[in-house]
Amino acid sequence: MAAALKDVWIPRAVLLALALASWEWAGHSANGEWISRPSAIVIRLGEMIGAGLHIDIAVTLGEISAGLAIGGPAGVLLGLWLGRSPLAAGLLSPVVVALNSIPFVALAPLMIMWFGLGVLPKIVLVALVTFFIMFFNAYSGVLAVDRDLIDGLWLMGAAPDEAFRKVVLPGAAAWIMSGLKSAVPYALIGATVGEMMLARRGIGHLVTQAASQFDMTGVYAALFVLMVLGIVLSEAVALTEARLLRWRK
Amino acid sequence: MTVCRLSGDAQPRLQGRETMIELRKVSKSFETRGRSVKALDTINLSVREHEFVALVGPSGCGKSTVLNMLAGLMDPSAGEVTYRGERVSGANRRVGYMTQKDTLLPWRTVEDNIRIALELRCRSSEAGERGARLREIIDLVGLNGFEKHYPSEISGGMRKRAALARMLIYEPETLLLDEPFGALDAQLKIIMQRELLRITRVRNMTVVFVTHDLAEAVTLADRVCVFSGRPGRIRAEREVLAAEPRDVVGMRFTPEFGALAEDLWNELKDDVGKELTT
Repeated sequence: MAAALKDVWIPRAVLLALALASWEWAGHSANGEWISRPSAIVIRLGEMIGAGLHIDIAVTLGEISAGLAIGGPAGVLLGLWLGRSPLAAGLLSPVVVALNSIPFVALAPLMIMWFGLGVLPKIVLVALVTFFIMFFNAYSGVLAVDRDLIDGLWLMGAAPDEAFRKVVLPGAAAWIMSGLKSAVPYALIGATVGEMMLARRGIGHLVTQAASQFDMTGVYAALFVLMVLGIVLSEAVALTEARLLRWRK
Repeated sequence: MTVCRLSGDAQPRLQGRETMIELRKVSKSFETRGRSVKALDTINLSVREHEFVALVGPSGCGKSTVLNMLAGLMDPSAGEVTYRGERVSGANRRVGYMTQKDTLLPWRTVEDNIRIALELRCRSSEAGERGARLREIIDLVGLNGFEKHYPSEISGGMRKRAALARMLIYEPETLLLDEPFGALDAQLKIIMQRELLRITRVRNMTVVFVTHDLAEAVTLADRVCVFSGRPGRIRAEREVLAAEPRDVVGMRFTPEFGALAEDLWNELKDDVGKELTT
């Protein structure tokens, strides 16, 4: 396994080097400014770090965390509730499904009109997106719990709340975790979209600002930051999942 | 009912015991794809306190359905199921039920699975006492060294043993066992049979034991009920008297044991034959 990984790393590095070299070469040709050059992007990133890139990253990350902290638990709680109560599910799930069919990007202008230019509309947008994802996962998770496991605990004398805590909740945890895994990239999209509409700070704002000045290098640099952010966030969730769901093989 | 004495000095064990479980004219049908399939047809069965009853029969004859009804997880389509004189409705919490499919919680380790019944509010016990019982029962089923493993990391036979331990640890008065030793190898099967007999005798448990192993049924049970194929009916019943404590290995080599096993096989074989040819 380790040997196989090592074998793959070398060709990977070669491939990456080749791609970057041809990009660099193409960037020096006529009209090269439209695709910029890796070297220029690296230099620009250095300048951006000096000019307070960390504040933009903090703003975007803050919007993502605050939005997740609101939308995630709310979605999970509603999902667990509807999963337990068929009556509530029958009543509310059509509403949730209907609201979820709105492409959330289309809500961004509304959010900005309601909540202004600060971070609040972005937080609300992230919260909305993650709410629906977490809701559907928690709801399906409760419904997917093996009935036999609950019966088994019932026969041992468990009270309804004990059966819920010891069987339904841990059973749904795997679903909730996989919900979080898909919610995090969406949270990043939500925050970025919000920032691109109208904002004073944030990485999405950096993208639109550079684009409005036809500054291709700036656009690529901001996109690179978004990519790194996306990777770091996804890896963090995957790591948490592996730790929490050790029993899954 | 025919009484079969496996040794000369065997004494009836259950004289004067009251009826614990009773099925009166119980039938059960299932709806599948709009058609009604009869799984059990007018079963009458009564089990006395402390009795060990084995149900044998071809697969699909409704043995597991009988256990599900005793546990209160299923209602009969007709007839009545009573437990200590009361009609069973809803989960019957006086029984321990080990289903064919083990219902271990995949996110709990072996020892946390076994311990779960002791964690419930209705059975509050001290942590120290719990730990002692846990070690004792893990020792009993031979799972030492696997306490911290998850169910996905151990074999099917080990999962069966963990499920058995989980049921035995809280000492229900009645055990419903659905082919509990089917997945075990021959030696372990004998060890587990001996332990099951010992524990159930010491704790005066009532047992309803489903198996397709005739020798196992005769070895363990006070009474063997042979089911016919679908729809399930009780085709024959034999009371088994053997010297106590039962020697689960030695008793197999007596001529009386062989004769009884053959007799039961004759009752069973028509249905099994039918199954083999279809």
